[in-house]
Amino acid sequence: MASIRLEKLRKEFGSVVAVDSLSLEIPDGEFAALLGPSGCGKTTTMNMIAGLETPTAGAIYFDGKPINATPPGKRGVGFVFQNYAIFTHMTVRENIGFGLKIAGHARDEIGREVNEVAKLLQLTPMLDMNAGRLSINDMQKVALGRSMITKPAIFLLDEPFSNLDAAFREYMRGELKRIQRRLKQTMVYVTHDQVEAMSMADKIAVMYCGELYQFGSPDEIYNWPVNQFVARFIGSPNMNFINCAYQVQDGRPMLVQKAGGARTPVDDKRRRLLDGAASAGQLILGIRPEHVTLAAERRADSLWEGTVYAIEPLGPKKVVHLKVGDDLIQVIGPAAYRPRIGARQYIGLDLARTHVFDGKSRAVIR
Amino acid sequence: MQKSKTRQNLLRFVLALIVVGMFTFPTYWMVTMAFKPKAEWSSAAGVIYWVPKNPTLDNFDTVLTEYKGQFFRANQSSALPSIRSSIIVSIGGTLFALIIGTLAAYGLSRFTTDTGDLPWYVAIGRLALLVAVLLPFMVLWARLGIISHWYGIATFTLLGIVADQVIGRLLARYYKGPAGSLAFSILQLRMFPPMAILIPIMIMWSTFKLIDTWYGLVIVYGVVTFPFVVWLMKSFFDDVPRELDEAAIVDGSSNWGAFFKVVLPLVKCGLASTALFVFILNWSDFLVALLLTNRYWPTIPVFLNTLVSSEIGAQHGPKAALGLLAVIPPVVFGLLIQRYLVRGLTFGAIKK
Repeated sequence: MASIRLEKLRKEFGSVVAVDSLSLEIPDGEFAALLGPSGCGKTTTMNMIAGLETPTAGAIYFDGKPINATPPGKRGVGFVFQNYAIFTHMTVRENIGFGLKIAGHARDEIGREVNEVAKLLQLTPMLDMNAGRLSINDMQKVALGRSMITKPAIFLLDEPFSNLDAAFREYMRGELKRIQRRLKQTMVYVTHDQVEAMSMADKIAVMYCGELYQFGSPDEIYNWPVNQFVARFIGSPNMNFINCAYQVQDGRPMLVQKAGGARTPVDDKRRRLLDGAASAGQLILGIRPEHVTLAAERRADSLWEGTVYAIEPLGPKKVVHLKVGDDLIQVIGPAAYRPRIGARQYIGLDLARTHVFDGKSRAVIR
Repeated sequence: MQKSKTRQNLLRFVLALIVVGMFTFPTYWMVTMAFKPKAEWSSAAGVIYWVPKNPTLDNFDTVLTEYKGQFFRANQSSALPSIRSSIIVSIGGTLFALIIGTLAAYGLSRFTTDTGDLPWYVAIGRLALLVAVLLPFMVLWARLGIISHWYGIATFTLLGIVADQVIGRLLARYYKGPAGSLAFSILQLRMFPPMAILIPIMIMWSTFKLIDTWYGLVIVYGVVTFPFVVWLMKSFFDDVPRELDEAAIVDGSSNWGAFFKVVLPLVKCGLASTALFVFILNWSDFLVALLLTNRYWPTIPVFLNTLVSSEIGAQHGPKAALGLLAVIPPVVFGLLIQRYLVRGLTFGAIKK
């Protein structure tokens, strides 16, 4: 069991900076996800934790001990690769037992451990098959088993489920959480799928272009994104963004939509932040689709007006696209809700859950 | 319609037959000739015998035994030493090239970004520059009178390696690409006609007293086929995902462990076909062995050459017999690794 601390980690490939001054602390036994689009440096970070890449600068600590100079095999990490990295010239049994064999354990001990891991992953009937003949799903299980068997204190998974089919992926997500709870390992999970990160991780690190944008629990990331990128990346459908300007009209502070003129009132706390702010003329208002309500008639809480542009029925709910001025926004409506295309709708916002971002730096103003 | 199709098929069949005949007939001729008595293989009778009329093992007897009798015979010595020599130097050279070549290929595949892919003008330019730089030094070495001493050869070789790398690095400044490529330096070894480098090698070998020794031949065979091994094996290694080595390393293997336990078993098909290819190259070599051996270690091709001379005429029968024997090792080797060979030769053709 071990905690991981990254300190001002930096990795350059030639002139490309893959990871830039990344500092992160993952407590012992926690399930952390590195989330970001492809090319954001999450796999490089992972490789540095495993020791497969040497950081250009910065330090990595396991349990407070610097680990930079320790070779990968001695770090006590397990690594599951995106493309499984199964040894196709060996049987399933040999694959799973590989780590123990390298470490020089006794044959009967290896056999016992392999059987146990195989039972946990339901691989027992395939143990003596050639690993190259397995289905992709089973290959990924074998890869998981091979990393698990050495009981690493730290378990690194690099998009392990992205090649699996949807149904099996859901199942493996559940399994992985169960295994992690049971073994109480520190897990680092790389993914570009925000649903995967939100559903499994205790903590999520959102990365973009080699930089860490935000590190926090799924709740924090969802409710309090630090910038527009994080806000956009988390949640499906995406958060709605509307370019606004801060104005005081008739003594009442407002955010006025640039492409239409829809007004959103500003409370006192936000007013204090925005009064005299340099970027007051260039703001972005963000609101998640699930925090918007629709009504066919004007109600007391109706703030904006819009017309229905498109509707996506998703079964239990509907995603309604609305045109507000020249901006398009998405709203989650109940399944029973069936407006016509082009119908006028009155839109209410959960004002406490709106976010205001600086139009230039894209950072949240809070 | 139907008729023209049949005719087309027939034509195709006949054409195929002709091509197959062209390739198999020399083999057929050699096999039958090996068993013909002298009267049938020589032109003395003025008749062509398509099949041996009186099959005999005389030809084998002639090449495989030493002749101590008082009457004239084609060859005085037996071919057995040359068969032994061929086996030792071919296998030795193949092993030598395979061991260093496979390791080099793995290094080039995993530990550098060197692809060795150069546009032809950079490749030729680099080679031409190297020759231009080395020529004056050669004249100087000759003037100093050290060119045929071991220290002269050693310093000149070192100079060549350094100059090659310096030129590569300098070119890399102007041409944004792998102009300093080590993989290309290795390929460069194959860019000269063999005859051009054999004379200097002969001089070097005589300085180092390597002429007419098995290890002298093994070194030359190894070095000459080394580039093939590197380039073939590199392409096989490139097809093995890096994650496999990394997985083994994370699980506690050393780099060597990952290489021997994981990567090498995965490219064994490629290794087998490379081995066969290199073995055939070494086995069928005539030029190198002719220049670097004289008395003790001539190989089969060199020995075959002694069966033709103005004194004894062309000994077609014994030649065919020895040729038939010489075919056996590559064929046996090929059959032994056939299982790997088919996969090795098509490796990388199918993406998983």
